[in-house]
Amino acid sequence: MTAILNPRLVGAELPQPGALAIRGLNKAYRIDGRPLPVLQGIDLQVLPGEFVSIVGTSGCGKSSLLRLIVGLEREYDGQILLDGEPVRGPRLDCGLVFQDHRLFPWKTVWDNVALALKHQRLSRREKAERVDEHLALVGLTGFERAYPHQLSGGMAQRAAIARALITRPKVLLLDEPFGALDALTRIRLQAELQRIWAQQRSTMIMVTHDVEEALYLGDRVIVMEPRPGRIRHEVQVDLPHPRERNAPRLQNLRDELLRELTGD
Amino acid sequence: MTALKRLLRPWRGLLLPVLLLGAWELASRQGASQAYAFVPLARIGDGLLELLASGELWLSVAASLQRTCLGLLAGVCGGFAFGALMASSPLAERLLGPLYHALRQVPILGLIPLLALWFGSGEFTKVLIVSLAAFYPMALNAFEGFRNVETRYREVGRLYGLTPLQRFTQVNLPGALPSLSTGLLQALAFAWVSSVGCELFLSTGLGLGNLMMNAETGSRMEVVVIGVLCVGLLGYAMNLLFSRVSQRLLRWRAPRPGDSR
Ligand SMILES: Nc1ncnc2c1ncn2[C@@H]1O[C@H](COP(=O)(O)OP(=O)(O)OP(=O)(O)O)[C@@H](O)[C@H]1O
Ligand SMILES: [Mg+2]
Repeated sequence: MTAILNPRLVGAELPQPGALAIRGLNKAYRIDGRPLPVLQGIDLQVLPGEFVSIVGTSGCGKSSLLRLIVGLEREYDGQILLDGEPVRGPRLDCGLVFQDHRLFPWKTVWDNVALALKHQRLSRREKAERVDEHLALVGLTGFERAYPHQLSGGMAQRAAIARALITRPKVLLLDEPFGALDALTRIRLQAELQRIWAQQRSTMIMVTHDVEEALYLGDRVIVMEPRPGRIRHEVQVDLPHPRERNAPRLQNLRDELLRELTGD
Repeated sequence: MTALKRLLRPWRGLLLPVLLLGAWELASRQGASQAYAFVPLARIGDGLLELLASGELWLSVAASLQRTCLGLLAGVCGGFAFGALMASSPLAERLLGPLYHALRQVPILGLIPLLALWFGSGEFTKVLIVSLAAFYPMALNAFEGFRNVETRYREVGRLYGLTPLQRFTQVNLPGALPSLSTGLLQALAFAWVSSVGCELFLSTGLGLGNLMMNAETGSRMEVVVIGVLCVGLLGYAMNLLFSRVSQRLLRWRAPRPGDSR
């Protein structure tokens, strides 16, 4: 279970800084021809290598925000800049773990993960090595030849995490990546994610419903509120990584966040 | 008891045909007029041996099968391309859709007089009829298959920067595969039926349909019965083969009720 990433492979290409700047972002979906505002006046600056957690009630537009950043939604007002360049569509250096795992049902776990490397100029052996390594990382060794319908929800989610990590994007967006996992696996994968984050110095933005997870991993926690989705509150977590899970400072921040979330 | 059951299990499907055969033989012994309509099994057996010995049956079967294969190939390829085109281009759908759906309503056998007038009653017309019969279901299923590939999966393809060709082979084609395989099975059934059917209408040439028509004019009912049996059995065998192949190709799907094993 405790897989160690091959340092030669990991260190091979350190990602460039991934700075994200969102200014005056508005997004509305059309439902029945009428515009439904989903995000309103979002301003967010994310530094290169920063870990930002986003929490908020269901339906407040967290997934929509990630879809906008990654370039899957084209229609919006405002600015989304990745390293100073406006986002016009999906880019290989910006990855996303979807809220639903989205493995292709017609591919085995191994092929699903390998799919992410389709565009990379690597030898067949290097690719195989990387895929095996990332499957080991998420504890799926032995399930390479399984089809998604033969996996549990948590296993499928872990395969999806492996697929996103394998491309080593400089910005990685995670939409409730550990939602379907048991407490133990969740804690282990949180630690792995933190290690990868520290090692690759990539920027990560993670949506989660788990306030403790948000605080444990994030340099900053953003609280969103619904209808239309806005940023309501922001908490700086000024503790060095790796952190003590039950540090008193985290307890205090947790209480503050919960108060914000329940709204008074 | 359970051992006996397990032994008999694979033969369950034969129970009804055997019962029918018994009833048939019984009916044939009820008098001379009945014996004409229900040819005694012994006469059918003799007729079969005769047809096999003269080689007539082989020639007919080969002719029908060859026509079916040619027509099926043409119709399936055409239907696949047509369906894919309509699914990928709204303009193509608007231009071609209405014509396609209107023509689809006309039974193929109803087109035979027209087609025979234009192209004669030779082999070409027959293959054309078979390929049309295969074309319609294949085109429809290909269209729906490609159209209904989930956006969720297309987005994954976009996210990982797949080229258009990769998107087709990795996402759209496998996503449409269940529907394509349904289309292929339907195309096969229609092709086979219309292959024999058009032989009944266009009486020149070889084929199981011709064999049956000639036998009817010669009052050889046992040959007609043999023809019917051959058509049924061959169609069944081809269907079985194709569904095995498609089950193999679709083994990534979660098992659903009705799948054999
Ligand atoms: N494609 C779409 N078309 C129309 N409305 C949409 C679409 N996608 C999302 N919405 C709407 O946008 C709002 C926000 O959705 P979103 O998925 O971003 O919420 P979320 O914060 O991720 O919620 P959850 O925590 O439940 O995942 C919802 O009200 C939803 O109805
Ligand atoms: Mg969501």
